[in-house]
Amino acid sequence: MEIPYIVEPRKDTGLNNSKIGIWLFLASEVMLFGGLFSGYVFLRIYADYPWPERTLPVLPGLINTFVLIGSSITVVFAWVSLKLRQWRKFQIYMGITIVCAALFMVLKGVEYNAKFHHQAIRMDDYTVIEGHSHKQKNAVGGAHKNLNIKAKSLTVSLSRVDDIYFDVLDEQYSKAGFGLANDVKLTDGTVLEQGTAITKELIDQAKKDFLAALAHNSNINIELGRQAWKTVKSKHPGVKYYELVGDQTLKGLVDEELKKLKKDADFKAETPALNFVSNEEALISVNPYWGRLSNKNRGKAGRLTLKDDTSIIGTIADSSITINVDGIDFRHTITKAEEKGIPKDTAIKNSWLLKSNENMREVWAKHKVVTKKLVEYLEPKGKKPTENDIYRINWQEIAGLADKSIEDIEKLDHKEIEALFPGDIEGFAGPVHKKHGDPDSKGVAYPEVVVPRAQVRFESVFSPRWNTYYATYFTITGLHGLHVIAGALVLAYYLFFGRKMYEEKPEWLANRVEVGGLFWHFVDLVWIFLFPILYLM
Amino acid sequence: MSDSHDDHHDHHNPGFLQKYVFSTDHKTIGLQYGLTAMLFLLFGFYLMMVMRWSIAYPHEPLPAWMGWLFSEDWKAQWLTEGKLPGETYNMFGAMHGTIMVFLGIVPLGFGAFGNYVTPLQIGAPDMAFPKLNMWSYWLYLTGGIMMCASFFLESGAAKSGWTNYPPLSFFADAQYPHQFWTGQTQWLLGLVMLISSSLLGSVNFITTIINLRAKGMTWMRLPFFVWAMLVTGFLLLLAFPPLEVAGIMQVVDRMFGSSFFQPSGLYHQQLGLSDASGGGSPLLFQHLFWFLGHPEVYVLLLPAFACVAEIIPANTRRPIWGYKSMVYGVLVLGFLSFIVWAHHMYMTGMGPAVSAFFQTTTTLISIPSVILLTCLLISLWGGSIRFTPAMMWACAFLPMFGIGGLTGLPLAFNLVDLHLHDTYYVIGHFHYIVAPGILFGFFGGIHHWYPKITGRFMSRKLHHLHFWPSLILMNTLFFPMLIQGMAGFHRRWYNGGDAYLSADPESTNVFGRTVLEHIDLNIMMSWSAWLLCVAQIPFIINLFVSWKAGRKANSDNPWNACSLEWATPTPPGHGNFIEEPIVYRGSYEYARPEVEDDFYAQWRKPVEKVDED
Repeated sequence: MEIPYIVEPRKDTGLNNSKIGIWLFLASEVMLFGGLFSGYVFLRIYADYPWPERTLPVLPGLINTFVLIGSSITVVFAWVSLKLRQWRKFQIYMGITIVCAALFMVLKGVEYNAKFHHQAIRMDDYTVIEGHSHKQKNAVGGAHKNLNIKAKSLTVSLSRVDDIYFDVLDEQYSKAGFGLANDVKLTDGTVLEQGTAITKELIDQAKKDFLAALAHNSNINIELGRQAWKTVKSKHPGVKYYELVGDQTLKGLVDEELKKLKKDADFKAETPALNFVSNEEALISVNPYWGRLSNKNRGKAGRLTLKDDTSIIGTIADSSITINVDGIDFRHTITKAEEKGIPKDTAIKNSWLLKSNENMREVWAKHKVVTKKLVEYLEPKGKKPTENDIYRINWQEIAGLADKSIEDIEKLDHKEIEALFPGDIEGFAGPVHKKHGDPDSKGVAYPEVVVPRAQVRFESVFSPRWNTYYATYFTITGLHGLHVIAGALVLAYYLFFGRKMYEEKPEWLANRVEVGGLFWHFVDLVWIFLFPILYLM
Repeated sequence: MSDSHDDHHDHHNPGFLQKYVFSTDHKTIGLQYGLTAMLFLLFGFYLMMVMRWSIAYPHEPLPAWMGWLFSEDWKAQWLTEGKLPGETYNMFGAMHGTIMVFLGIVPLGFGAFGNYVTPLQIGAPDMAFPKLNMWSYWLYLTGGIMMCASFFLESGAAKSGWTNYPPLSFFADAQYPHQFWTGQTQWLLGLVMLISSSLLGSVNFITTIINLRAKGMTWMRLPFFVWAMLVTGFLLLLAFPPLEVAGIMQVVDRMFGSSFFQPSGLYHQQLGLSDASGGGSPLLFQHLFWFLGHPEVYVLLLPAFACVAEIIPANTRRPIWGYKSMVYGVLVLGFLSFIVWAHHMYMTGMGPAVSAFFQTTTTLISIPSVILLTCLLISLWGGSIRFTPAMMWACAFLPMFGIGGLTGLPLAFNLVDLHLHDTYYVIGHFHYIVAPGILFGFFGGIHHWYPKITGRFMSRKLHHLHFWPSLILMNTLFFPMLIQGMAGFHRRWYNGGDAYLSADPESTNVFGRTVLEHIDLNIMMSWSAWLLCVAQIPFIINLFVSWKAGRKANSDNPWNACSLEWATPTPPGHGNFIEEPIVYRGSYEYARPEVEDDFYAQWRKPVEKVDED
């Protein structure tokens, strides 16, 4: 059996199968990315927080645009070479295409990497600061933003306890010397003695016993329930459960019957949780996304609840985040202040960031001068600075003006100030920080702020978690990246494994490359939409 | 894996695995789709039977025969004293909907019937991309298994309705540390698999129909079945990707903590203030979901229409009435189905202008639907009807689908929808379409093409045992829903209205009295559902036993039908046709004066001196 029109086009449609197939597939791809772009528009229009505008470094994106456009051209050359039966040229052009794809992904990786190491914090008063966090003083294993508690006691929920958490925290638990708070009698008669050290085996044993008891009791309950209904229904046939029999509903009668039956039933005692205590207050340090603190104030009594319902009780320890600030954003602060009728400048002046930190006050004072110069510059042109210009300080400004005093800046005009800012090449994928504790390392020493946990409303690195803009950015570019990889793999397959087909059925191979090339152009086209929307708007 | 089967076509004796499991033959894949889909349908039916127990007898433990599928540990975790708690009911409800729609009806209609019949009817040796066809099936199976297997995860299966609306779905299972292994996430990933499967399938179908038509098979000679499949293909191709996007966005929300669909300041009673950033929009998900959701209705429906449109002319022995209007009707229907989606969202406060727009388009779409139904109805007029089993199903399809369709009209108007939204009326409406409507069409299709697939007829006795109880029970099951719905019964009451019941007829609680008046319908409906399950047993027996023991079909064309699939040997071998078929005329040329037989098959050489028509 032979499927027709694999190579030759059908006369009345003028197309071969794969050409129709790829155009249809591309139509569905248009709907896929169309859905994502619509989502972006929808989220941006209805955003209830200041949308991040032009925050991505433009240079890598720009280079990537040209890299992809170039590869779209070479893929056409590769196809033409096949049509002309020039294998060597095909190899060269296809090779360039794939190298371009690789280069694209490398640049993408550099961009992503910079984002994943860039921390942002939304303060309690909605001030946003950005920068690089570094190790907490007390946390275990070099963590940057763990939740820390000096623990006295610990409750493990046996139905929910999760192996992964336990494996990570096991060491901390045993170092803290947690032991069983009281004797626990299991249903099989074993007694877990008070003071038994917390181990995985212990928990597994108790868990198994608990689940067995649960199943046993549930079975009895089901059996008795059925029995009770049967008895009562046979006494009062045809009565609905809500109808009255004397002064009671039928259901009430069943409940009474059931109570009687349960009295003599052989239920087993369920132990749903194990309690552990420690003699000393030992530090337990937990990833912030694994649980939550009942109370964020250091030194107060509180509880840390993990997502698997493990409950750690003790005194809240220092869980602050230390960060070198390379960006400040007051836009959200002032919208929130306006809702309450507080003047913008008062809200900023009273923000925790400016009140608590001398360096931040200085950065803000400098920024006010910068804004003033900008107004002077724009006024003759009949323009005004945007809210972004006035209430957001970006890393270029902090870095450029780091060793200038306010008096120095007063002497300069807007253009001269801008000339001090580092250029695109210097901050290829974002700001470069001096290594913490290494003054000789490359980069800028950005001012340091210690943010107590109580001031943190929300924190995240620049990942999808941070806000819907970054969520969209990572999802669209991520999906696009997957398309680039998939396309490159297919093209590479033709390059490295196409020789045999070239010798036997060169036209068929040319068709395949054509179809692959069409897909490649689509991938390029998506990027051409992505670049301005995500990087420039 | 597929590479080792690369040179498939050159072998005449493929091994068992190649022939029946990893087959690239459209007929085998069609059967695989069909059997798998029917298994999923049974499972979805089972979930519903358990739910109906909770609705009819909310305080009694499940009877033993319902619990056999669950282990004791499972029951201990998910039942309270043997009764279905709300969370478990939600899980069953969500999975019932998902399974029936995505794993049952779509694969049965598009995957099974479409795959088996389409290439035969257009005279093609196979689909345009056979290997892709195989991948479609395996992706579908993987997605289905991922969804269903999640019942046995610690979190249980998905539990936020088949629509999976956030923020409900966001909080569901949010307490589990590894999000990957939760029912909610598995549901989403399964959905992405299913959508990818449908995408590959639709590309394959459309290409096949465009490019592999036999010589002489012009567009207007195509059987209506093929037109319906073509439109279904386009619906799947263009409507599914936005939901795929929405699914991916929800996965990112769950696994990477983003807030696409989480508004700011989200609070949950047990979990407290959400630790997501917020700033997203739940409404966005609804738009993306229903952009698929409404075309999806036609993805379910059109294959059933397609089957009925083949059965009716073959058994009335006259051409289908208004073939061209049906073709244009189905094209308009396909187009309009893309701009009606927000009629599912009147209650979200989109604003009167938006509602008015979607109200208008929704009323418009009833026009092509009515054209299709009317054409089929009029096709019966003046025919010499043979009540074959297939024809009986087709005749039952027409009024049942009619009820389903007409009960949908009030829902199109947002004022009426205010009252009926999310009530049992809605459930009654779309179940009338899907169960006695679409499924009846498929049962008819199975009876119709069974002799081609196996060379034997299905038993008529068993057919009657299946048909009559099903027809009656479907109505006693779904009609009371319309009544309850108008009385205000909410579709998600896990105990059938018990919580709102005021047992005192003198009570001043008017709603409680209304509930009292209608709550007993629950018992009738539940028994109908359970008996309906019993009524399917003759069908299952019939389906398998007739395969080997049914009455033999002595002809390749036992129904004396005109379309090309009956020109193949029985069962059709690999490559389908022995000689390349040539088509001379349209596919419904019954009762033509030129020939003595009452049918003038598409492949029959023209009788001499025939006027070209």
